[in-house]
Amino acid sequence: MLLRYITRRMLIGVIQLFCLVIAVFFLIRLLPADPVSRLVGLNSSPEGYEQAARQLGLDRPLFEQLWIYLGLSPDIAPGLLQGSLGVSWASGSTVGSEIATFLPVTLQLITLAFILAFIISIPVGMLGALNPGKAADKGVFVYSLFAGSQPEFWWGLLFVYVFYFQLGVAPAPLGQLSPMTFPPEPVTGFMLIDTLIAGEPAKFFEALHHLMMPVITLAFILSGPIIKMVRQNMLRALQSDFVLYANLIGLPRKRVARYALRAAMGPSMTLIGILYGFMLSGAVLVESVFSLGGIGQYAIRSVLAFDYPAIQGVVLVITAISLVVYLLLDLIHAAIDPRIAY
Amino acid sequence: MKTMMSTATAALCALSVAGAATAQEILILAEDVPAGLNYDGPAAAIPSSQQGMVTLLEPLVGYADGETVDGVVVPDFDTFEGRLAESWTYDADTLTWTFNLRQGVTGCGGATFNADDVMYTFERAKSVSGAAPIGWFLSNVASIDGFGPEVFGDDAAAKELGDSIVKIDDYTVQIRQAEPNALLLPVLTIFGLLIFDKETMEANATEADPWSHDYVNNTNAPGFGGYCLESWAKNEQITYSSFPDYYRGAPDATRVSVRRVPQSSNRLVVLRSGQADLVTGLTPREYNSIADVDGLTVAGVTGNENLFIHMNFDVEPFDNIKLREAIAHAIPYDQIIATGYFGEATQWNGMVPSTYPGYAEVAGFSYDPEMAKSLLAEAGYPDGAGLDAFGEAFALSYVAEKESTLGPIVNVIQTALREVGIPATLDPIPQTQYGDRQLVRRDLPFAVNDQEKPIGVDAGYAIQLFFVSPENGGLNNMVNYRNADLDTMWSGARVDPDTASRDATLAQIQEMLAADVAWLPIVEYRTQWAFRDRVSGLKWYPDNSIRYTDLQISE
Repeated sequence: MLLRYITRRMLIGVIQLFCLVIAVFFLIRLLPADPVSRLVGLNSSPEGYEQAARQLGLDRPLFEQLWIYLGLSPDIAPGLLQGSLGVSWASGSTVGSEIATFLPVTLQLITLAFILAFIISIPVGMLGALNPGKAADKGVFVYSLFAGSQPEFWWGLLFVYVFYFQLGVAPAPLGQLSPMTFPPEPVTGFMLIDTLIAGEPAKFFEALHHLMMPVITLAFILSGPIIKMVRQNMLRALQSDFVLYANLIGLPRKRVARYALRAAMGPSMTLIGILYGFMLSGAVLVESVFSLGGIGQYAIRSVLAFDYPAIQGVVLVITAISLVVYLLLDLIHAAIDPRIAY
Repeated sequence: MKTMMSTATAALCALSVAGAATAQEILILAEDVPAGLNYDGPAAAIPSSQQGMVTLLEPLVGYADGETVDGVVVPDFDTFEGRLAESWTYDADTLTWTFNLRQGVTGCGGATFNADDVMYTFERAKSVSGAAPIGWFLSNVASIDGFGPEVFGDDAAAKELGDSIVKIDDYTVQIRQAEPNALLLPVLTIFGLLIFDKETMEANATEADPWSHDYVNNTNAPGFGGYCLESWAKNEQITYSSFPDYYRGAPDATRVSVRRVPQSSNRLVVLRSGQADLVTGLTPREYNSIADVDGLTVAGVTGNENLFIHMNFDVEPFDNIKLREAIAHAIPYDQIIATGYFGEATQWNGMVPSTYPGYAEVAGFSYDPEMAKSLLAEAGYPDGAGLDAFGEAFALSYVAEKESTLGPIVNVIQTALREVGIPATLDPIPQTQYGDRQLVRRDLPFAVNDQEKPIGVDAGYAIQLFFVSPENGGLNNMVNYRNADLDTMWSGARVDPDTASRDATLAQIQEMLAADVAWLPIVEYRTQWAFRDRVSGLKWYPDNSIRYTDLQISE
């Protein structure tokens, strides 16, 4: 039953992705700019301009370009059907290889940030809900308001100034490793994993140290809405009939809180899932502040350069990941809530 | 577990010093690292990519050192000196240049430089097989015979080198021009005609890519430069190690790491902390903030960077000379220099960079709001009455990505224009959209521009690039300025072999342009760098890239 549900969702996902590919293909070509002008620069001739347009395939009719992109004209160039996302117009590298480089950086960053935010938010949100109106609840309210009140780049820059420049306890915001450290041979693209695979624990801890500030910054921002959500849902759950009954029959407070938390986790997980999908590209400011070459940075670079293959590739990959995350969420919902069955 | 913890402790302790460069190694922080190393490839127009090219590849000729200004050596554009070419002669009767190549030069890949490398470089340029044919473009600008637009046709023979560039022997090459043109030596200094190591290039060619574009776009640019590529992670870091057998002497900095740090404030903070040695691309405010910091130096030169106002002759009311003059007198030049550049700029009294050969100083405009109002009335718009009818024409466009630098300046300009009755508004637009409207559509009515640097160091080239009509050879006449007299004069100057008479014609052209307010030049601002005191020897080049081989590193 579950397998059939997953298969159905995957098939729907493929259809969604196909529609998105078509929509993005045409939408980016409606943008009021010409990628060729950036490619040739301003010190070039009309002939050079036309040559560049030919090289990019922009002299071909629009539907022919789409055909090539989809992989229906493999004699001209490989396309999606052949597993190719094309070649970046900004760098000349394949989009697939670039995404494989940039995506793990972001996944690593936001996954760690979500884990940290989760670890902070659940007890803090529970604390507020279990003590409504008391000092602890007010403290939780102030924290969640504070965390969500300023943009992440502002906090990032502030943290860099305080913890790196003033206190000297954080590393320079120069990426995943010190510039003078040779990175390990990429295997998975995840620096923490690759350093372990390479058997270089010193580099593992260096990478962890470099991730410390961006993860804390992002977790700080993320924990604001998650705490609010957990607190609200906990409050609601604590007022529900089954909790009132549990209290009435004298179950220990801790066990009742656990029951309430389980009921509160469903909606909270939904928020976390949505935030995770959003953060795939939304972590761009934190990536920028800490010089992490992540997928958000890549997306921004591609949009500013009107690098059509790269934009299409990023949208496709982020959407695919979001679809998988939403599917996982539904499965987690089913695991948490016995009323849900597939 | 205990071992793990002790390793962690040791690692974290080591981190406090990690990042600091050792004696002869330097760390440079920049907005970006090369996106590609192929000057005929997709990243050729990006300055950070050009920086990579000039680090790995060498030109045939270069400029001799000129005077030292504020600690930075500037080139003497009137004196060429050999690089990979040791000497040369020119036969005016046959329009042929004979280059005697340097012997005993080797590259990082172990290849020995000879005439085959020069032939290969020009063959590749003429193949126009890359995404952006810069090598062909420069050869065309210099009138090298056979490098005309016909190479873009279907005739495969037109893409072959033919007899315009000939290998005489292993160390002698001849280049023939189609007409007298003073730009040959200047273009040979530019990044778009740097010499490749043929042997390594061909070893990395494939059937689908015989000119190794993929290899140079993504892996390495093999040449005969002072540095070899050690590692390169696009969007992150590039590291070069010095080449001990470099023909101009082993570089002082043994290892140069360039790290991408997108936020200029972070580049500044890391430099101040002592973990970086040199940073580029700070805002004028940031350079100013560290001007007096002990242990740091901010150096700069007035090179070829400038700011001007673009008014489109095809858009009303900018076709009205009185209106253009009114705007010229409404601009508070000194305030822009103080507010936008913290004094690191001077008013630009010219139409081409003042450092370029052939530059002629022209009468600059003064800030005079009363005269601006009077000229506005003469233009038919007393106190700006009637200008609202032109709607979006007064939306002052500028590149949105440059907000931190241009933002304060456009605000000063908008305020000043409104004071005399011109209804200016601000219109920040993305770089690509700006480039498209400037280069392709040529429909930007009113804009502020600070990014035009003619790569050919010559007033004649700058005039061709920006002011000659497209039908008469103009390349990027973004304001649609048309002047038949100018076109005729420029055509004559282009092939004039007599330098004095050519310069006189070019000076006359610059005066015409100033009188017509073809562009409204505002300021020339200094190209700046900030570095630790242990770094010295910086020289300025017209591409604004640093040559790491110039740097001296002290303990």
